[in-house]
Amino acid sequence: MDTQWPRWEVFKQDTPAKPHQAVGSVHAADPFHALLTARNVFARRPQAVSMWVAPASAIFSVTQEELAEGQEPKPPAPDPRPSTFYVFRKTSHKRSMTFVDYVGELEAASPQQALELARQRFTDAEALAWWVVPASSVTKSENSPETVESWFAPAKDKTYKQQSYYGVVGSHVSKFKRPRGEDDE
Amino acid sequence: MPRKFGKPTDPDYEARLAEFEARIARGEKIEPGDWMPEEYRRQLVRMISQHAHSEVVGMLPEGAWITRAPSLKRKMILIAKVQDEAGHGQYLYHAAETLGVTREEMLEALLSGKAKYSSIFNYPTLTWADIGTIGWLVDGAAIKNQTMLAQCSYGPYSRAMVRICAEETFHHKQGKEMVITYAKGTPKQRAMAQDAINRWWWPALMMLGPHDSDSPNTPTLVKWGVKTKTNDEVRQEFINEHAPEILEAGLTLPDPDLRYDEATGNWVHGPINWDEFWAVVNGNGPMNKERLEARRRAHAEGAWVREALAVYAARKQQTAVAV
Repeated sequence: MDTQWPRWEVFKQDTPAKPHQAVGSVHAADPFHALLTARNVFARRPQAVSMWVAPASAIFSVTQEELAEGQEPKPPAPDPRPSTFYVFRKTSHKRSMTFVDYVGELEAASPQQALELARQRFTDAEALAWWVVPASSVTKSENSPETVESWFAPAKDKTYKQQSYYGVVGSHVSKFKRPRGEDDE
Repeated sequence: MPRKFGKPTDPDYEARLAEFEARIARGEKIEPGDWMPEEYRRQLVRMISQHAHSEVVGMLPEGAWITRAPSLKRKMILIAKVQDEAGHGQYLYHAAETLGVTREEMLEALLSGKAKYSSIFNYPTLTWADIGTIGWLVDGAAIKNQTMLAQCSYGPYSRAMVRICAEETFHHKQGKEMVITYAKGTPKQRAMAQDAINRWWWPALMMLGPHDSDSPNTPTLVKWGVKTKTNDEVRQEFINEHAPEILEAGLTLPDPDLRYDEATGNWVHGPINWDEFWAVVNGNGPMNKERLEARRRAHAEGAWVREALAVYAARKQQTAVAV
């Protein structure tokens, strides 16, 4: 059994006004391969303007539960020089479609310091989980209009991939449902 | 990644379990890294990986018809659908990975024949009408199950299900449109549609799993919010929607006992041949051997691509270091 390629976390931005969100992961040999795979897996429908990928092994992730219990996992080996870190945060477990969202970047000497600084700086909402990622580990899809167009626009024209393309076929299912309150009569 | 899987022998197990169950009762999602019982993790890995394998193997019966689609439009639709199934397999493998199982372990289990996948994909696709019927009935049954699983208490699985359901509604709709078109077509087209419905109806009912009385995992899964409905409840929803639609299309269903029950508002089906279901699940269906061989062949034939990409990545890294 051969081994699969390294795992990369994928961050997708749905519109320019929204943050990049951790939507899942892919396996790939290199960053560009990871981006291409991420596009095929996570943006087959028109709902993205930008994607980032980072090797899962470079991400320092900590939950509120672990911080409260003093059981932080071991961070990835730090870059010896101070560097830029991207900070991501999850603030709700209440609903299904809630993600670890990008909140900003900061300079720090290690992932642990980046986490400490993040906890001091991003205090507008309670964090249930933190992800700290060295900026140097993140590879981004190009922001030029041509690239955004060629990467993400074709899905818009493939209307046959939307159920609405087929309209109402046969009778609508509601025809077969008993009217409400029938039992009460 | 989750680091804490609780075992009943842990000193704090009862307290943590109570806290965990209270979170689920409040409707909170359990996320990677949160404490969870080992049994919750085990059941989820079993379900999610089986689900992922089903999406991957599910590409085979349909993929076989891409080159034989009767028009460019139908071909584009089928290609998009098969591409979606590949993507669904990927989302689901990723969701299982958040529980600490690796992609290698899951693929190994599939290729060695150890892992289970949906029984439905071990039936052959004999005519083009099977493609429409798979969309209408098989994806129709899958959506009923997946809509329920979109409410699942485990965040990554529920998110995968929300995305998958949105795409599956297209699969369902195109299949329904295709079968209804043939049902209104020439006598030959109508016969082809009827033949496909006759062959897929029972396997579609079976794919929603054994009766509740034979489904030992269900009570635990319902208690922990993994499932919110039982197999029989989901099956009933499926029949109530599809039976009247198929009859309205002028087709018949291969169940002489099928009847509408005024009192409950349910369509009541005749006995299901569970011997057939278990034979297929245990590897003796019409296509089990072919499906597994096709996966193994694809994996072996793709080896050079994996090797080439690995060598390319290694060389680029070396060059980067040298620079």
